[in-house]
Amino acid sequence: MKTALTLGFLLLLAMWYLSFLATRLDRLHHRVETSWANLDVLLQKRAAVALEIAHSDLADPASSMLLTGAAYQARDADIQSRSMAESGLSGALGLLLSDGQGHATELEQALLRELSFLTEKIRIAIAIHTDAVSSTQMVRKKLVVRTFRLAGTAPLPVTYEFESDVL
Amino acid sequence: MLTKKLKIGIVCPYGWDTPGGVQNHIRDLAEFLIGAGHDVSVLAPVIDEEKLPNYVVSAGKPISIPYNGAVARVLFGPIAYARVRQWISAGDFDLLHLHEPAIPSISLLACWAAEGPMVGTFHAAAKRQKVIFAIGPILEPAIEKLSARIAVSEAARLTLTDHLETDAVIIPNGIYAKRYAQGVPQNKWQGNTIGFIGRFDEPRKGLQVLVDALPIISRFAPDVKVFVAGPGDIEETKKNINPQLRDRFEFLGRISEEDKANFMSSVSIYVAPNTGGESFGIILAEALAGGACVIASDIPAFDSLLGGGAYGALFKSEDSTDLAKTVIDLLRDAKKREVFAKAGQIRAQDFDWDVVAEQIFSIYEMAIVGGSGVKLGSDSRSWNRFLSRDEEKN
Repeated sequence: MKTALTLGFLLLLAMWYLSFLATRLDRLHHRVETSWANLDVLLQKRAAVALEIAHSDLADPASSMLLTGAAYQARDADIQSRSMAESGLSGALGLLLSDGQGHATELEQALLRELSFLTEKIRIAIAIHTDAVSSTQMVRKKLVVRTFRLAGTAPLPVTYEFESDVL
Repeated sequence: MLTKKLKIGIVCPYGWDTPGGVQNHIRDLAEFLIGAGHDVSVLAPVIDEEKLPNYVVSAGKPISIPYNGAVARVLFGPIAYARVRQWISAGDFDLLHLHEPAIPSISLLACWAAEGPMVGTFHAAAKRQKVIFAIGPILEPAIEKLSARIAVSEAARLTLTDHLETDAVIIPNGIYAKRYAQGVPQNKWQGNTIGFIGRFDEPRKGLQVLVDALPIISRFAPDVKVFVAGPGDIEETKKNINPQLRDRFEFLGRISEEDKANFMSSVSIYVAPNTGGESFGIILAEALAGGACVIASDIPAFDSLLGGGAYGALFKSEDSTDLAKTVIDLLRDAKKREVFAKAGQIRAQDFDWDVVAEQIFSIYEMAIVGGSGVKLGSDSRSWNRFLSRDEEKN
């Protein structure tokens, strides 16, 4: 009788722990999704601003072509090629911006301000997303989680590789 | 970009009516957010419930516990937990902002109880402690609920990554830079003067380092005077000062915010000789904003605040000879003082609430995406969800 009770208690405890871990994982996956959604929106906005810059007088025809291409690539990229496309856009923007912007009109300056504002936000969004991803990966590495398939069918999140120094 | 009006709940871990950097930060932030049209409620331990601003909700009386080498006035326990839960469920918040959620306090309780968009700010900087191996596994599930983490300085961020293997975005503490810039120089504090503000009888504030440096300084600048402002035991402190130099020190006691601004713009040199335990150094930011020429010890927080010596001079921490040398150099060189003061005042703009609150708010915006407000945790525990789903079917 006593062993049965103890066993039952242990079983309950184990079940509680598993459900606790599952809730934790669920929450972490949610965090990964929302932080990615944030980042995605910001990157889309940046591509739009980049296009506007490409069409403005800030860019000479050659950089305009480069920038337009990079912006479209970043917009259309699927999840695998996304980070490469975004890095390409960063590079194109960096090239243009390092090339002096002394003769910018008011409208163009507003564009540049918006761009630097977005860049700042993107940097934060990347940090938040990366943190969510690495926490999730850490919990998913646990043996219990893998044995009992607590993550269900959710794909293992991957870190978004972003060359933050080009930003 | 403060466009959307939010309902924000802020949790303050330390007693609201005891002075401290975290409390000041929360008060300023709450008032700034209210000024921007948001609905803010602050939950804090309170000793005297009579003089509370209307946005503060009392969670009960704080208790004093030794923590991290100092006495922390915090609050926890079953009754506090019930109050925290009640505050969360009644508040219907869009977002919770928890301060210092990694210490035993109502912030941790709130982090434990709530589910939904949460932002945590980490203020403290501490050396790596072994005890974290014991409490880490308990803290981790709670801390990872935070949608975003903020550290007030690089030192605080390193503490966090060291202890809990999680990263944070650095957003400095805020000051009202404009108020300090309006300080009017006062004759009584001008001349060969050195200023110091802080709880001077606390060893880690480092007044003793300045006291030890004074014999050398006064040899080169015989008319030097030191003004010490802030709370503390004056008689006890005076005993440690060389009797011949006692009249060089003038203790002002606590001074008002307005006087603080005047003080910073009057003294020739503001000295911050803190020996450690400082995470951000808000007083230095205020000194810079007030247009003071600053000398600070080279502890990590001050080093990064002063840009490695670009916005003020640094001396080797706890080395009174080095401090004396630095002070004498600057007392003799009015031009250099002016260069530092000018650079510092520009630097102080980075800490202005207009800038800092915007950064904090953009974190808020990122945290609330996809969230449907803050709820109590037990409402969304998986088995409860099963149960409620069944009920809906019936």
